[in-house]
Amino acid sequence: MKEAAATLGPPERLHPISLLSSLAASARGMWGMFAAGGYFAIQGHWFLLVVTLAIYTIVSFGSALLRWSKFSFVVGQREIRIDSGLLSRTHRSLPFDRIQDVTIEQNPLWRVLGLARVRFETGGSGGASGEDDGSLAAITLQRAGEIRDLVRASRGLAPTALPAEVEAEAVPIFAMDLKRVLLAGLFNFSLAVLGALVGFTQTIGNPMGFDPFDMDFWAGLIAPGTPLGEFVMDNQVTLFVAGAVVLLLVGLATGLLRSLLRDYGFRLDRTATGLRRRRGLLTVTDVVLPGKRTQAAIIATGPVRSHYGWSELKLQSLAREDSGKGDHVVAPLADDPEIADVLGAIAWQPIGRVDWQRVSSAYVWALAIGLSPLLLVAGGQALFFWYASALLPDAVGGEMGEGFDTMLIVSTLILVALVGTIAMRWMAWRRYAYAFDGDRLLVRSGWWRRRLRILPMRNVQSVDYLQSFIDRGLGTANLLFGVAGGGLTGHGIKALPSETARQVREQLLSRFQ
Amino acid sequence: MLLYRLPMTAETATLSPVEPGYKQVLRVRAMIFWLPLLIAAIIADLVFLLPTPFYGLPSVGIAFLAAMAILVVPSRRYQRLGYALHPTLLQVVRGWLFHADTMVPLVRVQHIDVTRGPLDKMFGTADLVVHTAGTHNSIVVLPGLAPERAAEIRDEIRRHIRSDFE
Repeated sequence: MKEAAATLGPPERLHPISLLSSLAASARGMWGMFAAGGYFAIQGHWFLLVVTLAIYTIVSFGSALLRWSKFSFVVGQREIRIDSGLLSRTHRSLPFDRIQDVTIEQNPLWRVLGLARVRFETGGSGGASGEDDGSLAAITLQRAGEIRDLVRASRGLAPTALPAEVEAEAVPIFAMDLKRVLLAGLFNFSLAVLGALVGFTQTIGNPMGFDPFDMDFWAGLIAPGTPLGEFVMDNQVTLFVAGAVVLLLVGLATGLLRSLLRDYGFRLDRTATGLRRRRGLLTVTDVVLPGKRTQAAIIATGPVRSHYGWSELKLQSLAREDSGKGDHVVAPLADDPEIADVLGAIAWQPIGRVDWQRVSSAYVWALAIGLSPLLLVAGGQALFFWYASALLPDAVGGEMGEGFDTMLIVSTLILVALVGTIAMRWMAWRRYAYAFDGDRLLVRSGWWRRRLRILPMRNVQSVDYLQSFIDRGLGTANLLFGVAGGGLTGHGIKALPSETARQVREQLLSRFQ
Repeated sequence: MLLYRLPMTAETATLSPVEPGYKQVLRVRAMIFWLPLLIAAIIADLVFLLPTPFYGLPSVGIAFLAAMAILVVPSRRYQRLGYALHPTLLQVVRGWLFHADTMVPLVRVQHIDVTRGPLDKMFGTADLVVHTAGTHNSIVVLPGLAPERAAEIRDEIRRHIRSDFE
């Protein structure tokens, strides 16, 4: 502490006016108190009202005062320390080197008083949830300016201007014409949308008359007596097929519309610092993505898209969009040379010939073992109801027999879904692989949702070596990497043999040693 | 007993344990969680289950679980919690059923908190909270350190923080 005292300044407090804003904040939280006060006023219990108000004033003012008196900060040569908290004391130290951005804000009252709020953004965890990494409410504007200058000076940087509009190049690096946008819309069709549609028609759609699996829906659409109408209405199977076709068409239209609204006029330009993306039909968005802030790239595709050579390119960036997502689609539907072009624009090498390493089959087994209790239950149920519906109805009578039939169908469906999940995992395992490509780590995963993650090793923030009791039995472990920039989680390699996992971790961390 | 010990590999052999007081912190936390449940179970037993054959089952069951959680689990968790401050890395190892071994390069640390709750003050421990820029695992917590040791580690880590980010 003695050594620290030499480099740190004296403790400073916030201006007492900050009490006002914390009082306002606590008033918002005390609506229950106000409700009680209002109730007393209406009922005419004036004494109780006065007592309530007095308690409220004392409690909120007292706690604000206490909190204010316990809050202090110290500005040093290389860091700011903020001490706060009543019962749980927090001593936060913000090294200047880690502060990405210093914001100075003033509200009208503060402007009159010459005060300001200083907000520090460190690019740390807090930012994602909206909480600041550190802020000093209500210090003098002059002091705020001094602190900002100190932070900037310690980084040896000139004041960073906003990513200014840089003149666009004549030729964009990547652009999509209407045909491409519509094609992207076709692939945009997702099973999730289809599922939501089925759910909609069976619940809300039914009373509204929009249920293509219902006879009445078709009776209203097709004049009776026409051959098509007769055919559709003829039996359950054709009715089901017709309903499915209608839903499929609606799903396709939804996908097309979404793509058209979002990606119409998609255009990606190179700027001095990175990429500039413009897109949209009704709301045109214009985003500048600094290339240096890109943390990882994800190339996403599916079995059909991949067959025709299409995929989507997303960048995970520190620069956040308004929605708070940290991943930015920079090419919704592009072929391989186009993706290489876009990556080249932010000075990323195209993927070379690499030596793909498969992972252990524990990738499948761990899931199968995890699901095995469910499998056993579903299998047992299916067997039981099969037995019951096949043999018992004669003994117990028709109504119960039908119940058994329904239960048999349900439990069989659950069983099929579980087995299907494991089968999909097996398909995914056959594709799952990782490789080192120079100073980058590549991870290829998924069969239906195919992903290729490109992660420069310098962007790894932390490494977790995770091993559940199932993994331990199988002799494998999972690696999980912390990567900055929100949106895409789950950078990691699953089901590596324990020893390999440790080696890969060593390799990833070796640059820090 | 042997089952619960950390695997003694080259890496884990160098792990340091945290303060024994942390066991008490865990124990009191477990009590705060389990005792109200136990009381609720006993009341439920007396009020609702008296005439049924299940009478006594919740009380005994919850009492057993509570006893495990309060008497056995804290020392097990304590045994499996270890850390190591390597020259350039901070390593935090915890858990057996779900074993997690986290390594944070010191140059990757964004900022550091040392926090102490009421229980920590009572038993002389402190939490070291390390924030990285990652989205997954952006907050790495090393609980149960002596406050002086926590401050020491904080100062050590701060020495490594330099501007190589971006």
